[in-house]
Amino acid sequence: MEKYAKQIHADDNVATAVSDCVAGESLTVQFGGQTATYACKQNVPFGHKIAIRDIPTGGSVVKYGEVIGSATADIAVGEWVHTHNVRDDYKCLGKDGAPLPGQEEGKACASRGEGS
Amino acid sequence: MQFHGYPRPDGKVGARNYVAIIPSVGCVNNLCSHLERLIRGTKAIRHDQGCLHPPADTAQVTRTLINLGKNPNVGAALVVALGCEMVKAEEVYEAIKATGKPCDMVVVHKIGGMLDTISQGARKLVDMVAEVSNVRREPFGLDKLVFGTKCGSSDTTSGLSSNLVTGEVCRMMTANGGRFIQGEICDIMGGEYALKKLCVDPAQGERIVDFVRDLYMRGYHVGADTRGCQMTAGNVAGGLTTLVEKALGANAKGADVPIQATLDYAQEVPDKPGRYIMNFPGHGFENLTGSAAGGAVVHLFTTGRGAPNGNPVMPTVKLCGNAKTMGTMREHIDVDVSSVIDESESIQSAAERLYRFAVEVASGRLTKCEILNFEGMEILINGPVM
Repeated sequence: MEKYAKQIHADDNVATAVSDCVAGESLTVQFGGQTATYACKQNVPFGHKIAIRDIPTGGSVVKYGEVIGSATADIAVGEWVHTHNVRDDYKCLGKDGAPLPGQEEGKACASRGEGS
Repeated sequence: MQFHGYPRPDGKVGARNYVAIIPSVGCVNNLCSHLERLIRGTKAIRHDQGCLHPPADTAQVTRTLINLGKNPNVGAALVVALGCEMVKAEEVYEAIKATGKPCDMVVVHKIGGMLDTISQGARKLVDMVAEVSNVRREPFGLDKLVFGTKCGSSDTTSGLSSNLVTGEVCRMMTANGGRFIQGEICDIMGGEYALKKLCVDPAQGERIVDFVRDLYMRGYHVGADTRGCQMTAGNVAGGLTTLVEKALGANAKGADVPIQATLDYAQEVPDKPGRYIMNFPGHGFENLTGSAAGGAVVHLFTTGRGAPNGNPVMPTVKLCGNAKTMGTMREHIDVDVSSVIDESESIQSAAERLYRFAVEVASGRLTKCEILNFEGMEILINGPVM
């Protein structure tokens, strides 16, 4: 059975798997009338992302055509992209551009409960 | 394409034809429930607010009740007051009456107790239902439609299917001259700068950022990092890596449609086509109420795991992209878009299907929420309860 990943915007360097994919299998991405296939170098579960372009350490991870975070390691095409190699850079900024209080460095965003 | 809606004296067009029973304070909820059971065609819009608020919240509750009464899905309204509450029931009554709709009021303290108030209120409702039942649906252009949008009980399929499908519908419906309301400031957090870029007026874009700052600081004052309340462990397990990624998936419900203006909670949407961002939370009860008060006649509600709730006066269309949920929660879902996930249907095709369905709902087709009587509401307050 062919396995798929979804690319949402032309500028994206990641696609999201819509099938569980184990290392060695490949994921097909259909976008803008083109079809491309990427060999998974690691397991990529349903809903998780695979790199469709090389992303260097510090480089932007792009989904929906927007920067969603930055790479904390070199990420090669076909690798799994998640919290182990991407940093969440988001901080809520005040009108002066400085982070509002309570967002100390290293404090994880992800925490608890079931959200919306 | 046209839809068949109920014309109102103020020129708006409704998808439903209810007689609303509007408590000015939660103390009279039970009385309103008795009236609703007694008289066919009525909807009691129970809420737990209306008293012992700071002035800003009293004003917000008052505005919400007025604008719910002005929603074109409401053909007539009976305001039920206790008589000692902070919300001024006369103000709610006068504002709804000014639309030209039949509107009346009963005050429990003046009449003297629940039983006589039910008797007098019920007689008024009988006349209102008789009058409103004679309003006929007429054909109208799709430019008369106002939709709300929301995601709830989301999962990874939401950002990949149902939210994108909703975004396409919003693109089509605004191209046809319609309006839609988006909000969920908690979900916008992380994506506020992406939305700011879509604002026609930069000052309105800055206001979206202010909505997020305000929400963040309200969390901070009770010891929470609002970023963490929003990005959950379940989201991460499901494959969402960052808050920005989650926010962009939620923002996708409006695609790249330009934003005309920002709205206060429950503020009426201006009479100009396009996209509006309302300062409402993600929580379904306050969210749907804000949308209905804004003037939405149908709400597009995306879900991954299956959120069942709806609103008393605004039909809520549930769409879902998770095939497993479609198996377990089918009775709650109106439109299945799991075909987008398995690549058997394009987003565009699914969006045309959803748009058609929403227009049918605007013309009278019942949603699963309505069929199951699965509805509830609450009004957002921001300050302390005294």
